[in-house]
Amino acid sequence: MDRRQFTKVAAAAGTVTALSPLNIARAQGARLKVGVLLPRSGVQAGIGQDCHRVIDVTAGILRDIGLPALDIMNADTESNVDVARSRAERLISEGAQLLVGAFDSGQSTAIAQVAEQRGIPFVINIAAAPPITEQGYKFVFRNFPTAPMILGDAFANQLEVFQATGVSPKSAVFMHVNDTFGQAMQKGFTGVMSNFTMPYKVLQTISYDPAARDLSVEVAKARASGAEALIMVSRLNDAILITRELIKQRWTPAAILSMGPGWYEDQYRKTLAKLGDGPMSFVPWYDPNKKLSKQLEAAHTKAFPDIDLNTNHIYTFEALLVAADAFKRAGSANPKALADAIRTTNIRDNVSTGPGIQFDAKGQNDKLRNSVVQNRGGKLLTVAPKGAANAKPELPMTAYDKR
Amino acid sequence: MIARLLEGVPRRGLAALGALLLLLLVFPAFASGYLLSVGFLILHFAFVGQAWNIMMGFAGQLSLGHSLYVGLGAYAAAALYVHFGISPWIGLGASVGVAMIAGAVLGFLAFRFGVAGVYFAILTIAFAEFARIGFDHFSWVQGSSGFFLPVANYTTNDLWNLRGSPKMFYYLMLAMSVAAFVACHALLRSRMGYYWQAIRESPEAAQALGVNVFRYKMAAVVISAAMTSLAGVVFAFYYNNLFPEQIFHISRSIELILGPIIGGIGTLVGPLVGALLLTGLAEGMREAMLQLGVEVPGVKQVFYGICLLLVVMFLPHGVWPPLARHLGLERGAGRREER
Repeated sequence: MDRRQFTKVAAAAGTVTALSPLNIARAQGARLKVGVLLPRSGVQAGIGQDCHRVIDVTAGILRDIGLPALDIMNADTESNVDVARSRAERLISEGAQLLVGAFDSGQSTAIAQVAEQRGIPFVINIAAAPPITEQGYKFVFRNFPTAPMILGDAFANQLEVFQATGVSPKSAVFMHVNDTFGQAMQKGFTGVMSNFTMPYKVLQTISYDPAARDLSVEVAKARASGAEALIMVSRLNDAILITRELIKQRWTPAAILSMGPGWYEDQYRKTLAKLGDGPMSFVPWYDPNKKLSKQLEAAHTKAFPDIDLNTNHIYTFEALLVAADAFKRAGSANPKALADAIRTTNIRDNVSTGPGIQFDAKGQNDKLRNSVVQNRGGKLLTVAPKGAANAKPELPMTAYDKR
Repeated sequence: MIARLLEGVPRRGLAALGALLLLLLVFPAFASGYLLSVGFLILHFAFVGQAWNIMMGFAGQLSLGHSLYVGLGAYAAAALYVHFGISPWIGLGASVGVAMIAGAVLGFLAFRFGVAGVYFAILTIAFAEFARIGFDHFSWVQGSSGFFLPVANYTTNDLWNLRGSPKMFYYLMLAMSVAAFVACHALLRSRMGYYWQAIRESPEAAQALGVNVFRYKMAAVVISAAMTSLAGVVFAFYYNNLFPEQIFHISRSIELILGPIIGGIGTLVGPLVGALLLTGLAEGMREAMLQLGVEVPGVKQVFYGICLLLVVMFLPHGVWPPLARHLGLERGAGRREER
């Protein structure tokens, strides 16, 4: 060995020795690598980006409650099932030890298959199609209510609201947007409603195209039916269109009961101001009285003062909460150990409405409850269920021309 | 038969195709799960691009609603499997049949009543939209709630029921792409292929020469529909869930025609080159940006747009014809050489 070779070997040995303590430190404090798959471009871009907002806020909260920090690896599913699958593969290839996502049922199903094949736990933030957790998967967990759960809770909460306000409409019109979500809700509506003794009779069911730019005929039909309440399954644009038509046609139903997005969203309230007050939304929501909810709300308001906390934020946050909690209890990033830890999750101090986060044998959190949020004074108030409310419900709605 | 197929194909071209096939065959041995899924997507787009090319590239009929056949094929085979346990290999008979009937109805309405050009393209979109709305209400396949195939973590590959690993699907798609390539090559060299090209260049002149324009246009639509439906069958069993909103959507139709447009409409290699360029380069570019610490959602769509713009501006016949000339693979490559 000559002098040059000796110098090279010595330098290499020195470098390895110098870096070794760092390696040990990294192994000891290694973070869990979480692949977050969201539709941040394509037709669902707005929702995906909304879900993504909460990720930055999450790090501080996890630290505050003594949970380990997570290494977030982002992936855009482009609102496309093909891309969702390949992105999941890519994240796993790059070392993701747990996956979170993906807002949409189709994309979540595609990711679930990859997760199951590769033995990597997958925590679904938002996706309501029941079959996802009925496939016998061992690595797939969902902390979001299925469509039948959402509907069942909506009727139970309606009864509570009617009792609390003393206003029980005797008739209603059911209007729904004719897209995937609207159709699914419409199908379940009659079946699930028969399990409850509702005070109203549905006089008419009116569906409309999601791309409709004029809903005057539909609203006129609903008004002509003489119904006291309007039950809605809609999106944002049509919720605004329908409200404008209600005002134009001088019809204020005693109650507007929405079982989907649109009526509680920031844009709806900002666009309509005081004319947006009154509607109630029966949605997967958060319990404002829980300690963690207050923490999340405060952190979120600080980071995004113009955006209210909503379903997208809540369930994305909770998916990451499940991941961090499981990592802490498993004491390892081994996927099997993580999956076992998630299976025994029992988080009482959470954010969403209900007793907490637990998964059944199928990987579904079947303890989740929905809330009722009412638009009042430009704000969102949680009015039911009683134990998870910060205000009392108010019915009937104030007439649009009296505001 | 093989000698006839190979007639006139330059040796260099054959060698290049052989090398490419060999590369694709050994690819799974070295590829990670992610690369394998990208490989599957490239082959999928190459296959459906080839199928679309029959209609537009060979016969000159612009279809912007090819998602119709993908969806029909997918739903027919998946429904037969879920409801009756019928193997997708038997079910694909139904898939092809349904797609052929849909193509025949569309073709008959268009060609019998002289609907051509952009109006024909609009008609194809309309059919795909009818299907989307119809399937949204088709309760036998769960309508808009989504149709889910039962899945499990398969330890062995069950080719008969198309239940297995991504590797199995990759090889299946590779076999289908090779078969489609050979079939299209044979079709292009057949009497029908020459008639199609004559119709593409001038339907009036072709008719004046005695070509039954209606019959051969119908044949193009029906064959293209049948081939596209096969891709739908594989799609259904690979992803295991079907939503009318996704599978019949016009964005899927646009996605599957981008490959042949960029690769070279009317060429045999164009759809493969286009799929490789679009999917491969888009993924590569995204990967490079990530390495640089730049994460921009939607960058792929911007890349697609730029590619399309550049091709339209500088390579109106697509990437493959000038590339083939440059590589000395002209015969059998460019649309001009096929005339």
